[in-house]
Amino acid sequence: MTKYLLKRLLHGLFSVVAVVALVMMLIYSLMDRNLIFANDPQYTKLNNNIKKIYQYQQWKSYGYIEYDNYDDFISRLHSAGEISDSDYETAKKLGRDATKDSATTKKYVQMFTDYYDDLGWDVTRLNAISYGGNRIASGGDPKLVASRDIPLLKRLWDYFTGLVKIDDINYASEISGERGLTFTLHDPLYNGSFSPAIIGNGTEHKYLLYLDSQFPYIHQNIIQIKLGTSYSVKKGVDVFDNITTRQGSYVMKEVTFPTGLTEMSADDLHTAKYIKGSQNATSINSARFVDDYTNVDTYKSSMSRIGFSFVIGIISVIIAYLIGIPVGVIMARKKDKLIDKIGTVYVIFIIAVPSLAYIFLFKAIGGKLGLPTTFITERLTTTMYILPIISLSLPSIASLMRWLRRYMIDQMNSDYVKFARSGGLTENEIFTKHILKNAAIPIIHGIPGSILGSLTGAIITERVYVVPGAGNLLTTAINSYDNGVIVGITLFYAMLSIISIILGDILMATVDPRISYTTKSR
Amino acid sequence: MSKEKIAELGMTNEELFSFVDHDNLESEKITAPRYSYWQSVFRVFFKKKINIVILTLLFIIIVFAYIYPMIYHYDPFANLNRPELKHLNPSKAISVMGLSIHSILGTGAAGQSTFDAIWNGSRISISLAFVCAAINMTIGVLIGAVWGFSKKVDIFMTEVYNILGNVPYVLFISVMVMLFSASFWTMVFALTITGWLGIAYFIRTQVVIIRDREYNLASKCLGTSTIKIAIKNILPFMTSVIVTLLASEIPSYISYEVFLSYIGMGLSDMSLGKLIYSAESSMVTPGWEFEFWSPVAISSIITVVLYVVGQNLGDASDPRTHM
Repeated sequence: MTKYLLKRLLHGLFSVVAVVALVMMLIYSLMDRNLIFANDPQYTKLNNNIKKIYQYQQWKSYGYIEYDNYDDFISRLHSAGEISDSDYETAKKLGRDATKDSATTKKYVQMFTDYYDDLGWDVTRLNAISYGGNRIASGGDPKLVASRDIPLLKRLWDYFTGLVKIDDINYASEISGERGLTFTLHDPLYNGSFSPAIIGNGTEHKYLLYLDSQFPYIHQNIIQIKLGTSYSVKKGVDVFDNITTRQGSYVMKEVTFPTGLTEMSADDLHTAKYIKGSQNATSINSARFVDDYTNVDTYKSSMSRIGFSFVIGIISVIIAYLIGIPVGVIMARKKDKLIDKIGTVYVIFIIAVPSLAYIFLFKAIGGKLGLPTTFITERLTTTMYILPIISLSLPSIASLMRWLRRYMIDQMNSDYVKFARSGGLTENEIFTKHILKNAAIPIIHGIPGSILGSLTGAIITERVYVVPGAGNLLTTAINSYDNGVIVGITLFYAMLSIISIILGDILMATVDPRISYTTKSR
Repeated sequence: MSKEKIAELGMTNEELFSFVDHDNLESEKITAPRYSYWQSVFRVFFKKKINIVILTLLFIIIVFAYIYPMIYHYDPFANLNRPELKHLNPSKAISVMGLSIHSILGTGAAGQSTFDAIWNGSRISISLAFVCAAINMTIGVLIGAVWGFSKKVDIFMTEVYNILGNVPYVLFISVMVMLFSASFWTMVFALTITGWLGIAYFIRTQVVIIRDREYNLASKCLGTSTIKIAIKNILPFMTSVIVTLLASEIPSYISYEVFLSYIGMGLSDMSLGKLIYSAESSMVTPGWEFEFWSPVAISSIITVVLYVVGQNLGDASDPRTHM
């Protein structure tokens, strides 16, 4: 069994990699990359060479290409000390075209060209654009750039190797004191009361392992999951953080900062991250912090995106099973009676009518009954959850009813049912003890899927009721060409679906001893 | 029985038993009631009175969606310069425009008749659904049959299914829409490029179930070729499954089109989905609700009618119901 599951898991991982590769091909190669400029006001303002440079920079930010330009190249050499100050000043100036370069410039241009030619990049020289005699048009300064499309295999490799990030003590570039990890039983943030924590110096996160009063009470920052960095949806934030960080308004409380300063703040000092030279960058930071670990998250009042999606999703799944299964059983027992007909009409309604239509219908009905129809994160009440939960559970109830009824009716003519009946069992016993148990097996297979599926959120429901959940992230990302987010979300979905199928198989084999995945001699 | 008793019954000679000669030729023939599959399908289908009602509704829908726009040319911007015609509810529209077929559902944001807009949109949506269903079903059934029969193909296709099935459908569609334009045929392409996979998988499972039944095994032992088994033994068995599947496929494309329009990735034409999407703000504006609910209601009616017709046809095409 273990061997079989391991094989399935490996197979699943292969599928996940293939899915990600396919999605990368779709969005990076097939899609027109000029579309990202369609709604960009900055782009329309620029002209000539500057516009082209801006294009390259944006493409780099969106992850399409690798790109470098001569100016940055030279200044890097300069700061590395490989080029003298006086040479730097002359080398910086590109001629109007290649023939007008000074000798020094020529040397470094050659160096730049050779370097990137070796790497296989395209080196392009944008000559000066002038109007009239010698006057250079706006944005028409000469430029030298190198770029290449990131090859798919490199992209895949980079993505999967960067997926899990383990914090190490050589992360920070400049650090005071000795690099290393210290274990303390008394977290300095709790003024010496007992609270174990591992604190790092030189790592990205200051607190690597700590306890606090928030669920699940013990937290870690050692292993970080990086699904993909967003560019346009939420700039610079990783998809995983985007769906898991809390939202809403700040929760202020009295915080004692490392310097001893005590003030009202929403900062969660346990999340402190390293930013080079940040302690002395602002007066606020220098008043609060004693080192460069100043980048802190804040306490927010409401759940994360995935939290909202999961709460709504899981409640509706539970409700669906609580209603769908008994009704399905009754429909099968009273086949062709009134209750079966009513149930069938409901199933037809849900299957045939566009989901948008009945969600709006229930929103309108709920609104007439006085239930809140929109989600307000700042002023959450329990009643706000009711309508989204109802509209999510409606289709699941219908599909449970439909399939359970089908499976039970199929079982009703089996020999074991006839045998049980001739043995004198009551209809109730036959239905609950024999038919239901056999008919429920395919239903049980779907349970892990529906539970894990509630993590992904629902697109229409969340849009209609303005729920700040995770369901809309994919469509938002597609509409704003946020490639990092698209890849990250796809990976997340694919992982969930593969895990749920495997879990479903395990669960099915657990409840039904007849099912075995290993070939054993009979 | 005596002759008097027979006379009491008052029967003619034709009704009474009489001797017949033994016919060697006739005794070689096997007689059974004449059975025509499709005739029985329609006999069973029309036996249910509800089906006649539903078919009439379907006929009305087809007339309004396809023939009505031919007779009356619909121009959404014809009333653009008449502000008095904008956002009217049915009763106001009837009082302003007079009672006509154009005014019974009120008017929309550009003063256009909601009734005409809906049928124009329905034509696009229904066409999309039929074209997509035709393509997906054809490809899906053919590939699914091969998939079910060949073990080699099965390994390969299951892998393809696992991979393509996990790429979000929305992503495929949006990439297609961005690659080309949001035209009708782009949408067909986007909905069919991976849409056949699910159908093929379903058919594959059905084929696997039937493939190894005893009668097919017997056929195989008698030397019937695989293609003949597929066409003569399995396809007839699958007809009702295919029709039932088709019944849920066609409405699902209409629903999907509505969904895509709602998330902003739909057609550029004023399809049903686009109508619902563009009238969404009207739903919360007092007095304008009709603009939103009319296309929602009509699209629901269309999908329900198509679904029920298909399901009942699927039931009727199952030979077990013909007895």
